[in-house]
Amino acid sequence: MTDFNPTILAFCCNWCSYAGADLAGVSRLQMPPNVHVVRVMCSASVKPEYVLKAISQGIDGVLVLGCHIGDCHYMTGNHRTAKRIPVVQKVLKEAGIDEKRLRLDWVSASEGEKFQTVITEFVNDVKKLGPSPMRSVRF
Amino acid sequence: MVEEHGNVAPIMIPKGKEIGKVRIDVPYQVVTVLANLYPWLSKGKIAVVTRRCDEKAFAEYFKRDLMDKSRIVMIGLACGKDQIARCRCTDPVPSKVHLGEPNKGVEKDDLAEKLGKMPPAERLDFWVAQYRKCNKCFGCTITCPVCFCDDCVLEDRTFVAEKGIPPGMAFHMVRTMHMADKCIECGECERACPAEIPLLTMRKMLAKDMKELYNFTSGDEKIVSPLNTTLDGEPMEDECHEC
Amino acid sequence: MSVDHVLTTCPYCGTGCNFFLQVVDNRLVGIVPCKTDEISLGRLCVKGYNAHAFVHHPDRLKHPLVKDGGHMRQASWDEAYDKIVAEIKRIRDKHGPDSVIVLASAKCTNEENYLFQKLARAAIGTNNVDHCARLCHASTVTGLLTSFGSGAMTNTIPEFGDADCVLVTGSNTLEAHPLIGARIMHAMDKGAKVIVVDPRDTPLSRIAFLSLSQKPGTDIAWINGMINVIVQEGLVDDDFVKARTTDFDKVKDLVRAYTPGKVEEITGIPKEKLMAAARAYATSPKAMIAYAMGVTQHSNGTNIVKALANLAMVAGHLGKESTGVNPLRGQCNVQGACDAGGLPNLYPGYQRVDDPAAKDKFEKAWGVALQDKPGRTLTCAMKDAMIGKIKAMVIFGENVMLSDPDLTHVEQALKELEFLAVADIFMSETAQMADVVLPAACYAEKEGTFTNTDRAVRLLRKAVDAPGEARPDWQIACELGRRLGSKGFDFSSPSEIMDEMANLTPIYGGISFDRIDKELLRWPCPAKDHPGTRILHTQKFTKGLGTFSPVEHAPPAEVPSEEYPLILTTGRNLFHYHTGTMTRRSPMLERLSPEPYVEVNNSDAKAHGISEDDRVSVSTRRGTITLKARVTDRIIPGSIFIPFHYAEAPANRLTNAALDPIANIPELKVCAAKIEKA
Repeated sequence: MTDFNPTILAFCCNWCSYAGADLAGVSRLQMPPNVHVVRVMCSASVKPEYVLKAISQGIDGVLVLGCHIGDCHYMTGNHRTAKRIPVVQKVLKEAGIDEKRLRLDWVSASEGEKFQTVITEFVNDVKKLGPSPMRSVRF
Repeated sequence: MVEEHGNVAPIMIPKGKEIGKVRIDVPYQVVTVLANLYPWLSKGKIAVVTRRCDEKAFAEYFKRDLMDKSRIVMIGLACGKDQIARCRCTDPVPSKVHLGEPNKGVEKDDLAEKLGKMPPAERLDFWVAQYRKCNKCFGCTITCPVCFCDDCVLEDRTFVAEKGIPPGMAFHMVRTMHMADKCIECGECERACPAEIPLLTMRKMLAKDMKELYNFTSGDEKIVSPLNTTLDGEPMEDECHEC
Repeated sequence: MSVDHVLTTCPYCGTGCNFFLQVVDNRLVGIVPCKTDEISLGRLCVKGYNAHAFVHHPDRLKHPLVKDGGHMRQASWDEAYDKIVAEIKRIRDKHGPDSVIVLASAKCTNEENYLFQKLARAAIGTNNVDHCARLCHASTVTGLLTSFGSGAMTNTIPEFGDADCVLVTGSNTLEAHPLIGARIMHAMDKGAKVIVVDPRDTPLSRIAFLSLSQKPGTDIAWINGMINVIVQEGLVDDDFVKARTTDFDKVKDLVRAYTPGKVEEITGIPKEKLMAAARAYATSPKAMIAYAMGVTQHSNGTNIVKALANLAMVAGHLGKESTGVNPLRGQCNVQGACDAGGLPNLYPGYQRVDDPAAKDKFEKAWGVALQDKPGRTLTCAMKDAMIGKIKAMVIFGENVMLSDPDLTHVEQALKELEFLAVADIFMSETAQMADVVLPAACYAEKEGTFTNTDRAVRLLRKAVDAPGEARPDWQIACELGRRLGSKGFDFSSPSEIMDEMANLTPIYGGISFDRIDKELLRWPCPAKDHPGTRILHTQKFTKGLGTFSPVEHAPPAEVPSEEYPLILTTGRNLFHYHTGTMTRRSPMLERLSPEPYVEVNNSDAKAHGISEDDRVSVSTRRGTITLKARVTDRIIPGSIFIPFHYAEAPANRLTNAALDPIANIPELKVCAAKIEKA
């Protein structure tokens, strides 16, 4: 699948990871294309429904990025995310969709390079998994 | 339940009236039946014939202050072997048994075992074939005792994109997610499904995952949902009860 | 505080599921499916789960209304009754009894429909009584009466679950009859071959063993084609044909010309698929045909039904378990309304009004002279009203302003009337045009029976009181009958009405409220100790021998032209019911499907520059409506589909009132249309 460019959705929280993404951009760090960044106020506001709807419609990978534990602007928001995303991964697994298509990570506002690393790693992982099986499912 | 008009009907017997002959073999989900009535029953105690799953459903209600524990009196009903086999129930005996003979639970759900061993692509094919039969009757949601959101996300086009039927994977995956920390494996969803989709199996698979991830089992008043606690186990606000 | 769980029958489709209405102090608070119900097996569809939602809606009509100087004002029951009776008498005296028509209702009970036709026949003196079966299964009644002698479903709903092969045509079963669709899926899970023939890609056709898409209006061609294949490949059930039928040779000769190749030309169905379907149907030991509007709502609907009857007879799939020709009746009581005589040419029990013996029996029973000339059908009555031949209509529970074809003319027809009285539960579009509106009780507020599509007579039990001054239709009909000076309208309960009807209707002979309170009885049930009949035509057909009817393909009344290049077909969706008076007032159902839409194929959409959710206007020779486009591959290129539930974009403004000559059913499934961005 060398010419497969996965379509990725990245939810980034306003206070940390989105700022980190901004920093990566401003610093002209090289990043793979096809990553659609959605800014949310807190990673906890990423309802599992958004992730599951995106995946059911054929998105190849979903990335949820929040603040480091202890740094959440809303105190415990990222705790919710941390507890929630593993369950969403299990829902995918039981349905027969690879868990690795959903990834949770923490990126702070000053971690432009970490943002680049996480994006690049994730895109590569999803490339290896191939296009989402939901793309060819016809209900 | 009582026999009425050639059928078996749920019944609420008011104080002072003779109980008469009661049927305990047809598995109605009494907590759901009560949940519709509860907002209108302003005072007094309510005795309910509860199976183990009903007891667990009540625990989920009490945990979230949706019902007043002091008003519910539980009459424990132990399920018969047939029912246990049909539900693939691993935990069939209520805390106190007043009716019926306690029987042992079943070890495992055969279909869950089979699906667990399948390669993912095959598993996905299996579930897609099942979910294609879904015709959005919402039976699983409406008859589920622990489905208590006032505004169901499944009715919202934002989350379930399909306008007609079948509703696609998102509907079922979202339901599975929302049930992850609440489902008490009563099997009512599966019994209510006109398309006979093995919904109970999917629930059991998630329940196993929740146990592995967070050592969580639903149906215990003292255990707060892991989705409502911080990483250190501190409870967080739970306004909407969704997850 | 009283809490009750009242077992009753669903007011929506013809499956007739039973469920419990949860009642707390005269208020409906929920629904619990009935786990021991033979028909529903403890399951319901989304409409069934919401069947209580509209009952307490604030829009419910609570008081009689009278039109005074152009607007409606509240009146007393006496005033309303007096006005209706005075007008009927005046118009009858001046123009004759046949200038009045009573529209019975497929949503009212058997007892009420029995009274409506008695009102027309005995109290007013006309055979002008009809109801909405005219729009849906009239061709079933005429077609199967000719072929078998009985116009009803030959087998039962539970039998679908045990079939080896189910041929579904003209029915979007999973959306229109969800619990029957569920049985078909159960059979499919056990290995049954489900064959779907439909121009639309329906939820069932997507999971079917074989799905064939034909051009709308070409059904006789593919049915004759299947018979051709069955004859050619020696799959005819010779024993059955010889012993139980007549006129096979006529059909055998006629279908010679319908080779798979010719059928492909006419219908678009590939040869191999047609042959595979024919083989599967003929060789499966237990094969059932299920059909609905896609077959009946055509200008040659009667012939299409006869063709299906031919198909079943040629393969011998009749009179046995899990076989038969099974029309899926739409309304909760359309079967019952037909059974109870709500038809212009038939007394209760399908006894003909022009049969001297039947007429004599009813004259004696009712103590009044009756006409022997069949009355006008609903669709003809609309045309009659336009030209002043019909001057008065009394409409019970039907919203003709949305359900009849060619609404512009319906509106004109109603305006031409000298008098219109409507009894309904909501102020429907039709009620708005009435001179007198009577508030009626709905299904949860009265006793009575509905007969579902598999001939089971099911009880309604009262759960709550009707709002305000609303009354059950049977009381309204009795009062009108009495005031018109007729005897025979003194009933104190629906049970008594059923007793009278059962006495005069052999197929309902053994039906009484006592019996059906505890057991599921299907007609024919001629005697008090008869257990009811599950399967029809087991030993012989109702008319003795089944008749093969040779029928030729004929194009629809209106085919695409240059100006109107697309075929418009109308139908239903899962979430709403008919004209939406009930479902659009049910919050959950309205949330799930809030807006009108037109389904356009991807390629057609592209050609017209239309994208998903664009506002488009759809026009036919009869009118134009504007609505949102749904671009999908669920409809074949060249056709578009519009559900008729939405008053703000009424599909029937566009449809063609071209009628089947025998059944008078309009061709709601095919007309020529064009679409453009609005």
